[in-house]
Amino acid sequence: MSAFLQHTFDGLVSGAFLALLALGLAVIFGMLRVVNFAHGAFYMLGAVGTYLLLTEFGIPFWWALLVVPLVLGAAGMAVERALVHPLARLDPLYNFLLTFGLTLVLQDLVKLRYGTQSSPYATPSALAGTVDFGLFDFPAYRVFVLAFAVVACVAVWWLLGHTRVGMVVRAATERPELSRALGIDVGRWVTPVFGFGIALAGVAGVLAAPMRAVNPLMGADLVIVVFAVVVIGGLGSIFGSVAAGFGIGLVQAWGESYLDRWPIVAQTSVFVIMAVVLLWRPAGLFGREEAPA
Amino acid sequence: MSIVTRPAPSVVRAVAGAPRWLRWALLTGGLAVALWLPNGLYPAVAVDMLCWALFAVAVDLLLGYTGLLSFGHAAFWGTSAYATGLVAIHLGAPFPVAVLSGALIAAVLAVPIGYLAVKRTGIYFAMVTLAFAQMIYYIANNRRGLTGGENGLQSVPRELLGLDLTDAYYFYYAALPVVLLGLWAAWRIVNSPFGRVLVGIRDNPARARALGYPVHRYKLLAFVLSAFIAGLGGGLFAMAHRFVTLDTLHWTTSGKAVVMVVLGGIGTLWGGVLGAGLLVRLEDWLSFSGFEAVGLVTGGLFVVVVLVFRRGLWGTATDVLRRRFGR
Amino acid sequence: MDRRAGAAVVGALALLLSGCGGGGPRSSGDSKLSGDRIVLGVLNDQSGVYLALSGTNSVKAVEMAIADFKAKHGGDAITEDITVETADHQNKPDVANTKAAEMYDRLGVDTILDVPTSSAALKVADVAREKKKLYFNISGATTDLTGKSCNRYTFHYAYDTYMLANGTGRTVTEQGAKNWYIVYPNYAFGQDMEKSFSTAVTGAGGTIVGKDATPFPNDNFSTFLLKAPTLNPKPDVLGTMQAGGDLVNLVKQYNEFKLREKGVGLSVGLMFLTDIHSLTPAALAGTTYTDAWYWNFDAENRAFADRFLKETGSRPTFAHAANYSAALQYLEAVQAAGTDDADAVVKQLEGKSVDDVFLRNGKIRAEDHRVIHDAYLAQVKPAAEVTEDWDYVKILKTIPAAEAFRTPSADCKL
Repeated sequence: MSAFLQHTFDGLVSGAFLALLALGLAVIFGMLRVVNFAHGAFYMLGAVGTYLLLTEFGIPFWWALLVVPLVLGAAGMAVERALVHPLARLDPLYNFLLTFGLTLVLQDLVKLRYGTQSSPYATPSALAGTVDFGLFDFPAYRVFVLAFAVVACVAVWWLLGHTRVGMVVRAATERPELSRALGIDVGRWVTPVFGFGIALAGVAGVLAAPMRAVNPLMGADLVIVVFAVVVIGGLGSIFGSVAAGFGIGLVQAWGESYLDRWPIVAQTSVFVIMAVVLLWRPAGLFGREEAPA
Repeated sequence: MSIVTRPAPSVVRAVAGAPRWLRWALLTGGLAVALWLPNGLYPAVAVDMLCWALFAVAVDLLLGYTGLLSFGHAAFWGTSAYATGLVAIHLGAPFPVAVLSGALIAAVLAVPIGYLAVKRTGIYFAMVTLAFAQMIYYIANNRRGLTGGENGLQSVPRELLGLDLTDAYYFYYAALPVVLLGLWAAWRIVNSPFGRVLVGIRDNPARARALGYPVHRYKLLAFVLSAFIAGLGGGLFAMAHRFVTLDTLHWTTSGKAVVMVVLGGIGTLWGGVLGAGLLVRLEDWLSFSGFEAVGLVTGGLFVVVVLVFRRGLWGTATDVLRRRFGR
Repeated sequence: MDRRAGAAVVGALALLLSGCGGGGPRSSGDSKLSGDRIVLGVLNDQSGVYLALSGTNSVKAVEMAIADFKAKHGGDAITEDITVETADHQNKPDVANTKAAEMYDRLGVDTILDVPTSSAALKVADVAREKKKLYFNISGATTDLTGKSCNRYTFHYAYDTYMLANGTGRTVTEQGAKNWYIVYPNYAFGQDMEKSFSTAVTGAGGTIVGKDATPFPNDNFSTFLLKAPTLNPKPDVLGTMQAGGDLVNLVKQYNEFKLREKGVGLSVGLMFLTDIHSLTPAALAGTTYTDAWYWNFDAENRAFADRFLKETGSRPTFAHAANYSAALQYLEAVQAAGTDDADAVVKQLEGKSVDDVFLRNGKIRAEDHRVIHDAYLAQVKPAAEVTEDWDYVKILKTIPAAEAFRTPSADCKL
């Protein structure tokens, strides 16, 4: 029983990363209809940035958790203005391609400067121990990551439901035709929302730094899993993306621990689930079918 | 709002306005370059250009003429590469037979993937194909008995009627007919009534549906044909290198083909050939120049092309030609 | 706009077609030295995970060997014109294949050195066989290089999976850690390592209480780390076969889950000095592994390491020292043969006993072209005992050359 709880907890922690990334992707997509291929690259920049703040400037984790998302958010806004916006009126595929090119550039810039050697980042000392839950114990840092991610998701949920920006985003995401018809001014929120989505990827990156190896390719394969996650949750659905993120994290952890003789199951489960969802509900578990574009 | 910048910008139509002599001059010129290539370039690089040209044309067939961006075509390129290698190793088949069977297997794999993927369009289609290709990648990595895992499929024999094709220079000329056949097939598809229906679906799916065309089935067929041509390229690639690695299935391989298409010009068919030649040449040059950031250069180039040069090389060239000789 | 676009098209075409050395089939002449010079080719990872452990510093090591060779022979050297060509194979076998062929054909390279990543290493062996040119593999791990993929022109230096498993697996078991839990990345290197380790551990009277294949690459090992202490019987040691970024992840998470405190020690299949440097010795304190060479082992090694530090700013890994040694032994063989003709050089090398800064009690086996030498069981020092940068390990035991490597495999037919 305690082993099961441990694996479940573990799955929720990996799900937390997927959820944070999927959430950012969903928010950006909702507002701009852009699927940001560079989301994994920004996640990587978040982790690398955290590492650099410590090694180059001696700035510790807690400050990085504040500074890195802000900087990346600003960078995201600049990217939106300079690159994404000029293509906004064209087929969204162009922006998908653009962000793909951007991914290659960002990865190689980091690689060129720091190599692909993985850099370890020490767990913040306050969270170096383990937390005892009675039936099982778990590294304190991971407990913190899960709590932080849940709080972040709830905070975003609250923002969307209770603020003016939130209403606009929600309207644009979930009823794009309607909000345009009602004359809601979506345009002025586009840049900040893009920046916000990137900042969320940055948060995930900062959280990853003490747990995972920091290297230029850490986001490369992850972003594809996140794509599958948002397809499962429903690209237009913010709740769906978060739920699917945690769900896939759980499935993978259970798969790895209980079907350990077939590691392929855990690796491909997310894609198989995606295929099933596509057959059964093409718009995703929580998505709404849109008129074909 | 289509990814193609002009309605029906098929090169045939663009050059159709040009005088007959120009069309023949282009065709002869292209063939002459193809025949001369391994004498001017390192032959192994020239062979790579051939393989990637087929891959790029396959992706463009889908993207430019059906409006579907597949970001997972490495699944077919790589599957065919493995299948070709296995057929050559275990059956000792001559290389064109092995390549053809590899391409057929890729086409068979394209049926279920395409069936699921064509349920979505646009960006969803790109993401779904990407995800499926990644799944194939993991499976190939896991089925080590078949694929050799990370070690790859080693020592693929390169055989044709007892001829010695070890030298890349000779293999180039042996492979050229297969490549021309693939390119000709793509050209035939685009210019057939089937191809015109595809363009119609791309430009106005609702209208095509109203006219009674089974849109999904047309898309699926285009997807499978495209996978077949990509498979030809992948099979030849396996033969060219005489082994197959997991990289052939990785999403970066799919991405590379897309970069080639956009560089050459989406919806121009021959642009893909040009883009492939250029990118292969560029990568070769970069890796010997001591500047190793291939991704930085190709990625940066790609961003610029997408931002300001969306017609690509071939698109721009035909535009210039048409303006000079046109209509 | 149109003119600019047109210019871009023309420029692109020019780049596409600009020749770089004619192609066409080639044949080699027969002079004493091909092209009247000797060219050494270093083909390795210059941008990826193996950059630090071999990479451009291997090129530096080869240059040091050339300088030493010239200094030793002075005017009697077979030629003054000895150069190094280098290329990045990005750990991709297809790139390695093309680059190796280009090195031999286009750049006049006489021997290729280094080549990490087993799949790339094996591919280059194929090329060497086809082109009948020499190839010294340094940083590839697979025993296939001296097994079923061996050939007349390929020599395997430094280490292999058997040496690592035999050194670490057997010795650690003999020292009392009987129960092993092995995690290995699910690709060729990892699977070979797992097999070699299992054989070595059980051969020494130990038990494998569990083994798990992990995805590759992977950044989350928590499932396996959670499982480790719950196994029955509880493992004394976690044997990890991960390398590069995966190793960094695993060690980090091993510490996070406090496995050492729970009584599960750590043993690493393959580790380089640069890995310890990057992970910090504190994260790895007490970990045992097999090393092919250690820079601070004796005065001779240290002198070499001091020169290397001056050249590169870091201490050499065993791969760097082995590149130096291989380049030197190749040049000596050419000198002795009086020609760079591959067959004549092979004849010089086969069966030769050698001692140099890297090879202790070294011998180039004629049967399978495995270069054997003493190996070392090393243990990472506790942080408190580290007094000098890069001096992170103590050598527990020297494994004599004859025991360190497997006997020639029956699969190898040169």
